[in-house]
Amino acid sequence: MRQAELTAQKDYWVKSACKMCIHSCAIRVHVVDGVVLKIEGDPDDENNKGKLCPKGQAGIMRLYDPNRVKTPLKRTNPQKGIGVDPKWQAISWEEAYDITAKKLKKIRDEDPRKLLVSINDFHRIHIWGWGAAFGNHNYFSTVGQYCGAAYHPINGTLDGSFACTNDYEYCNYWIQLGSGDGFSSHLHMAPSIKRMAEARVARGMKVVIVEPRMSTGGAKADEWIPILPGTDRAFVLGMVNVLLHELNIYDAEFIRKRTNGPYLVGPDGNLVRDPESGKVLVWDAGSDSPKGFDDESIQEYAIEGNYKVNGIKCRPSFQVIKDTLKDHTPERMSKICTVPAETIRRIAREYGEAARIGSTIVIEGKEYPYRPAGVNYYRGAIGHVDGGIDSLAMKLINLIIGNIDVPGGHIGVGLDHRCLIVEPGPDGMIKPQPHLLHPQCAFTEKPSSFHLIEWYPIGIDPGHLGADNILHPEKYGVDFKPEALIIEHSNPMWNLSATDKVMEVFKRLDFIVAIDIVLNESTDWADIVFPDHSYLESHLLVDIEPPVITGHVYRRPVIEPLYDSRDATDILTELAARIGFLEQWNGLLNFTVFLKPEYYLQPDKKYTNLELTDRMAKSIYGPDHGLDWFQENGHTVRHQTPEEMYLPYGENRIPIYFNFIKETGDELQAKMKAAGRKWDTSSYLPIAVWRDSHPLHNLPPEFDLYAFAFKETLLNFSESNSIPWINEAMENIPMHMGVMINTKTAKTKGIKNGDSIKIISPFGEVTGRASVVEEIHPGCIAMSNGISRWSNHPIPKKSNTHFNRLLPADVKWTCGMSGHLETSTKVKIFKI
Amino acid sequence: MHLGMVIDLKRCVGCQACTIACKSENGTPPEVLFTKVLEQVAGEYPIVKKKFIPVLCNHCEDAPCVRVCPTGATTKREDGIVLVDHKKCIGCRACYVACPYKNRIFLKRGSLKNGYFGKQLTPFEKVKYPKWQEGVVLKCTFCVERVDQGLDPSCVQTCPADARIFGDLSDPESKVSRLIRQRGGFQPLSEDNTEPSVYYIE
Repeated sequence: MRQAELTAQKDYWVKSACKMCIHSCAIRVHVVDGVVLKIEGDPDDENNKGKLCPKGQAGIMRLYDPNRVKTPLKRTNPQKGIGVDPKWQAISWEEAYDITAKKLKKIRDEDPRKLLVSINDFHRIHIWGWGAAFGNHNYFSTVGQYCGAAYHPINGTLDGSFACTNDYEYCNYWIQLGSGDGFSSHLHMAPSIKRMAEARVARGMKVVIVEPRMSTGGAKADEWIPILPGTDRAFVLGMVNVLLHELNIYDAEFIRKRTNGPYLVGPDGNLVRDPESGKVLVWDAGSDSPKGFDDESIQEYAIEGNYKVNGIKCRPSFQVIKDTLKDHTPERMSKICTVPAETIRRIAREYGEAARIGSTIVIEGKEYPYRPAGVNYYRGAIGHVDGGIDSLAMKLINLIIGNIDVPGGHIGVGLDHRCLIVEPGPDGMIKPQPHLLHPQCAFTEKPSSFHLIEWYPIGIDPGHLGADNILHPEKYGVDFKPEALIIEHSNPMWNLSATDKVMEVFKRLDFIVAIDIVLNESTDWADIVFPDHSYLESHLLVDIEPPVITGHVYRRPVIEPLYDSRDATDILTELAARIGFLEQWNGLLNFTVFLKPEYYLQPDKKYTNLELTDRMAKSIYGPDHGLDWFQENGHTVRHQTPEEMYLPYGENRIPIYFNFIKETGDELQAKMKAAGRKWDTSSYLPIAVWRDSHPLHNLPPEFDLYAFAFKETLLNFSESNSIPWINEAMENIPMHMGVMINTKTAKTKGIKNGDSIKIISPFGEVTGRASVVEEIHPGCIAMSNGISRWSNHPIPKKSNTHFNRLLPADVKWTCGMSGHLETSTKVKIFKI
Repeated sequence: MHLGMVIDLKRCVGCQACTIACKSENGTPPEVLFTKVLEQVAGEYPIVKKKFIPVLCNHCEDAPCVRVCPTGATTKREDGIVLVDHKKCIGCRACYVACPYKNRIFLKRGSLKNGYFGKQLTPFEKVKYPKWQEGVVLKCTFCVERVDQGLDPSCVQTCPADARIFGDLSDPESKVSRLIRQRGGFQPLSEDNTEPSVYYIE
């Protein structure tokens, strides 16, 4: 139904798309006399099948929050700070545009790098590049840190995926480290909970959860294995050691046929190539001779053994992996991660046996390998210095049982409707796709962004490095200063770590402009605010990290906008035009909204969000599938076909030996040397190993407890506890109300439940209330993000027990390979 | 017809989708939750067990609240749903005391003065709150308006884990009856002999 006809009705249900977290479940909304009375999951949608999480249902209280930005606003109080009233004055759109465009145009004319950019709206990834079109690569927010800088690039390198999970439909033995998949967060939570419940209860799948705090998953699992933060890799490598060296369980056929396991590796760690053709060599066990990897005469690819080619000692990469991890015994790994060696052994055996190596399954008439076991993981397991190596370990434990993208195993999840991005790469391998969010920023000898993205060739923007380089430009020779900041649906002061440093940057800025619907810790400091439409008032075709399904949900206004708001995309287009970079902006949109050449935007014309959505729809679905089609027919969500889900890489081999990562590091090191810079590239490893150098585990012993933050269902991805229904439900849950400490630990420190405590890390301190519990590792404390707020918004309590204050944010504490910040720290605590 | 609910504690992940679905369906004022999910932790580290236990009015067959109500405000329908007629309720709270499950809520005087954002009610609250009356007792109705239209209660409709199942306990072939039989459904505080229409399975 057309928009005007829809909202002219008195009583109607309308289908749309949720935006209460970063994912995008299908919803239906009941409207009576123009008032939204109910939001439910869309029962007809293949993804969530009528299910919706608490945040999705609470969208009503977000829509009708009286604290919403209702008109463009101008700050009249020049003083800025925590709890300071900005004394907002309502102004016209013209005045807001004029003030903002003049300020930003001047900056752009002088040096575009003076603008900090914090555009963090996951549903509108197409606008993330606004800063790049403006003329800089700055990123002053956290994508990497509280998402997966060390996760996404490794997924993309393995199989062209953006995220990953295990196969809900066929997995029988599901190990999960540091992730809420299927229980409390991540990848379309409500439908994932449903899939997981079916697997657990209806199919009897065994679940093992490895994490320092008993999360929802830990509570529901068959087994919860407590572990110290930042040591998940040790647990997993201990399992690998058991499988390869004690049990001899691995999928040789898969490694031989589908990975670069047979590729020969020389003593320098590089692939051995034929000197003339440049082809990577393998060892043919049949003829006992080296051959090009794709030589048709190869009788049997060797994946084990020691060989000599042209006088060079070499081994198949799988043999190198085996040899490298020989000393990662369960006993040694146990000392690091605190999980008993016998538990590591038992879990490895159960996992290896559950994998049913050699078995196959027929799905829709086609035979696939059947590996109903997998290790799934997310930010908790990899959000660390060396997080890239953590990710490699997580992939390795899956690769060796041959379960990558096969029924029952470890499944890649695309960023959007494109599913996995599979393209042939060099040496018969899949092309690595570490940059699904934006193209790589070119290396420069001197810093060209505050967060140094130019020195993280496969990383995701380490936005947390911005503040350190702004306050200490001499460290790396940053020779430009920030003057202004643009924020769109983001909260950098809250989400970046080393909070005090970030606040210092905010103090130094001349001008802050924000686009959002409700103000937060950061936008309380803005000079100009533009009101965006709420998701229930706007149009978009969206599909964010969908496991199992593909297609688009169509978000449409379920009511007319309540206030004098405009779509954020339109606001950014108008600013681009007034500042003078419409051509670059339109050029970028051509790419980011997937336009086909016949729908390319003219460089000098402003296009509305509606026009963009229409062109996007036609580009993806054909000329008769424009916005009109979606208004009549709704979502295009469908289950992925078996061909899309299983063995998507086809004949392209996937890496078990990540030579691409090593080569990237070597190349970066050469560039840095040429530039006369010292830069640590030691984490660009082709094989995951444990490294004792990890700074988290080498802090002075007085900091005797590990500390980390957590979120759960109610507080997932995006604004949560400013929504009163969410806040009310959260306040009934003890774990969100205090700092979790194990009973035994509390006793030794003389701390009782409810005591006020001081928490001091080497980098900062906070105070909070002790919540003395059993369900946490005695070597840790944990803090919910429910107690972290201090914004002017009246709903969340100003508890300000903000974990990020305890974290460092500099290069030393950042994963060299991926740009991921260390998200745990160590602390000392005492009663006050 | 005997309407009832089975709650599968194995499926429930304590996400509180039911809690919020109830808020939105019923439009209850602040601090009034007809249903919620309790969390219970037992054991000593590292052998710890954590349970999520959704609770709501049990719509008992032999409901103490019905027995003690002096005005006939609390009644039981033929299909088993226990309802409070706010016009008849005098706020004596006898039912509130009699309910062994503490699943009744007394709406104190002044409760409706403020909404979730203070004095200024949202458009949603303006539609929903006029049906409430201060000084009376409220509770879960099994979403009686939905049920009368042939729909499931809102908490059942939304539950991502399908942990709540609604149906006819008197029909031996209904899903609820089969689950109770096959998985040993038990009633909360069964020793109180109130014959709840809500069963739990583990």
